[in-house]
Amino acid sequence: MTRFMKWLGVVVVIFIAAPLVIVVPMSFSTARSLQFPPPGYGLGYYQAYFSDPSWLIPTWNSIIIATATTVLTMLLVVPATFALVRHQFRGRSIADLMMLMPLAVPSIVMAVGYYSYFGAMGIVHTHIGVVLAHTALAVPIAFLVLSANLKGFDRTLERAAMSLGASPTKTFIHVTLPILRPGLIISALFAFIHSFDETVVSIFISGRNAETLPRKMFDSIRQEADPVIAVISTLLFALVLLGLVGPRLVAALRNRRPRVQAA
Amino acid sequence: MTGLSNMTERKNLWPWLLLTPLAVFLVVFFVVPLIDVAVMSFTEPRLTFANYERALTGTLYQKVFINTFLTAGFVTLCCLLVGYPLAYLMSVSSQRTAMLILLLVTMSFWTSFLVRTYAWMVLLGTNGPLVWLFQAVGITNPPQLLFTRFSSTLAMVHILAPYMIMNIYSVMRKIDPVLVRSAESLGARGGSLLRHVYLPLTAPGIANGCVLVFVICLGFYVTPVLLGSPREQMIAGLIGTQLDEFLAFGMGSALAMVLLVFTMVILTIYHRHFGLDKLWG
Amino acid sequence: MSYLDLKGINKSYGQFVALNDVNLSAAKGEFVTFLGPSGSGKTTTLMIIAGFEKATTGSVEIDGRPLQGLAPHERNIGIVFQNYGLFPHKTAAENVYFPLQMRSVKRAAGLKRAEEMLELVGLRDFGHRYPKELSGGQQQRVALARALVFEPSLLLLDEPLGALDKNLREQMQIEIKRIQRALGVTTIFVTHDQTEAMSMSDRIVVFEGGRINQVAAPLDLYHKPETRFVAGFIGESNLIEAVVTDPVARTASAAHLGEVEYAPTDKAKKGQGVTLMIRPEHMRLSRNPIEGRRNAQMKVETIVNYGDNALVIGKVGDLTMRVRVLGADVVIIKENQDCCISWTPDAVYLIAK
Repeated sequence: MTRFMKWLGVVVVIFIAAPLVIVVPMSFSTARSLQFPPPGYGLGYYQAYFSDPSWLIPTWNSIIIATATTVLTMLLVVPATFALVRHQFRGRSIADLMMLMPLAVPSIVMAVGYYSYFGAMGIVHTHIGVVLAHTALAVPIAFLVLSANLKGFDRTLERAAMSLGASPTKTFIHVTLPILRPGLIISALFAFIHSFDETVVSIFISGRNAETLPRKMFDSIRQEADPVIAVISTLLFALVLLGLVGPRLVAALRNRRPRVQAA
Repeated sequence: MTGLSNMTERKNLWPWLLLTPLAVFLVVFFVVPLIDVAVMSFTEPRLTFANYERALTGTLYQKVFINTFLTAGFVTLCCLLVGYPLAYLMSVSSQRTAMLILLLVTMSFWTSFLVRTYAWMVLLGTNGPLVWLFQAVGITNPPQLLFTRFSSTLAMVHILAPYMIMNIYSVMRKIDPVLVRSAESLGARGGSLLRHVYLPLTAPGIANGCVLVFVICLGFYVTPVLLGSPREQMIAGLIGTQLDEFLAFGMGSALAMVLLVFTMVILTIYHRHFGLDKLWG
Repeated sequence: MSYLDLKGINKSYGQFVALNDVNLSAAKGEFVTFLGPSGSGKTTTLMIIAGFEKATTGSVEIDGRPLQGLAPHERNIGIVFQNYGLFPHKTAAENVYFPLQMRSVKRAAGLKRAEEMLELVGLRDFGHRYPKELSGGQQQRVALARALVFEPSLLLLDEPLGALDKNLREQMQIEIKRIQRALGVTTIFVTHDQTEAMSMSDRIVVFEGGRINQVAAPLDLYHKPETRFVAGFIGESNLIEAVVTDPVARTASAAHLGEVEYAPTDKAKKGQGVTLMIRPEHMRLSRNPIEGRRNAQMKVETIVNYGDNALVIGKVGDLTMRVRVLGADVVIIKENQDCCISWTPDAVYLIAK
């Protein structure tokens, strides 16, 4: 039984890895449309991606929108998380629950709402509209990461700082903020990725003017399956790999640096 | 004394002050759009219950609802069957192997839905590797894979499996090896070890993974629309069509409300038992 | 001349009374220990002095100046916390420099001062290390250096040795005493460990249930406990319920023992219910009664061997008694045997409360 489970596990590994691996060779293909095995290898599609405004503009849009979303999300979520984690007040558990709601409502439902509501406000098909929608959807993600970090924060450190002569403001600047920095960075990164990857709401509200990369990809896959998508997939894939392995690599290199033996 | 009461009053006001910007934002840009959907479902194109009547009694819509639920259930089951052995493999292999598998799963998790959907399109396409493999073993007339229920289900399982795996692995990793060893010393082996030790101890992770996968699948838009058969739509795709092609906001909203209610019922049951914050934690 | 004064401090959380009329004075340079079980109010008192908790009523004064209304960072009090509270993102030297930085000391001068302070606590050349690169004992020293570098008017130590193992703990006890003496800083040390309190303090304040039970020098506390609680909490003792029969002849009557003569005291009144305390090491164990001593028959139940000494536990009637004997003497008796225990009236200490 356990041996059977192990072999099943190996099959699953292949099932999970195969689709991730297959896109990479396709992006270097010289074939005119999708074809396996590729007749030859080249950088033709990469060239096509980096020279085609119909791909570059959505990419740029996505970067701008995700950046703005991240900033707005953090500005709203950081103070709120402090309030929710550190203070006891009536209605706190309901407020906690409300923070998670945007994650619980299916995206397509929100897409219907934003399509009509932003239409009435005149901000459908604008960058602003997409940023506002994405911020609402990124709030729970940023909150979950940050509140987990803040709950694990040892408040003795703040007391220590105050006993050593730091005012509440200085304590926040010199102690609270630096120690929370990794949590803040991860929280912001998650908000960025959430916006950058968001597809469903963008399909309905970003329009031609604020077209995001996922929307462009969706349309392209639906219509002609442009092989350039293989390039974008490979690039995104490389980014994810870098994001996951990069920090560990840096840490490993840092640890290899000679250091005085710890007693 | 006035100083003291001032202090406590300020203390009570402070959290509200920190919370207000976000609360206002969420009301204006989350709650109101949601209410707008509810309102439209009754008022578009005019004040009426007809949208709900059609949504709940029309044969086409009923078929889509049933299809959506069956698909979501089937995908959840597949994810469990795929995820459990892998989580088990990770928990019994060396730390290095477990790390590598975890890296693979996390990578899949962080790769956008679109990219993974596209990858399946490539894999299953008419000139793709799978067809090439069929031909290599002598099957010259392979069946149509793409744009079928098979392709969309397969891709959804692949896309949602990481949620299941991570949820189960996170509880399985915490199982004390001493517990397994003592169960073995008491005579539990193979199937009985799985049934009496692993399954009960990993039940919370299984519940978490299943609810998460099922709920995401209920409202799944991208993959079924891109990879599925146009004749076998799911709710989200149908809502999209109402908006995109027919500009039928009333009907789209009514369907969206039905989807929302289904989702909320499932999440409320989950919340009662486990607490909603644990679902994504 | 008192330096630190706690005057009538009360603290309640809603219905729950955490501190009940705490009064205390300490002289400059004195090492005072707050001793008591958890929840007895010792840490709450410490937090009120530090300014993290507000007393419901009462005041704290240092050198005649009331601290009321001052925020923690305005009080100039050094604290070493239970888990040290070292800043993980700063090196040892930067941690020690932090209070100087808050007092606008320039970085170069401040870091130099920090290094000197680290040297005083025995951590020369460790300044560049981060807290996670230091052992528990080393972290403890950094925390101590940090709490002392700004010449605080008071040093508070909140169970700082709790996380250390036994050997290291003894070493740190000596170390803390040495540094405290060298700097002459008035210190309040909170612990629930009586041996720690006995070995380090000039005076011990025993807390129980939110009240101060007794304030005394360590040996006075051991030999002359004022309450039954203190007698039971500090060291091992035989506590015997009795009723005073004759205050002039100094006798009291106890169940199973009959009339017992006690050491001179002015606290006894005829007919009063009291507790008689006999420390186990003040009793002797023998096969036969010893002349000139008060003897009692005991049936031995358990012998706990510690090597250099042994604790013999047995019954006199229904009364459980403990006798400490030298390790070499334990061979004379076995469990379940009858034997004699004996003491002199000097060893019987009367506790009125």
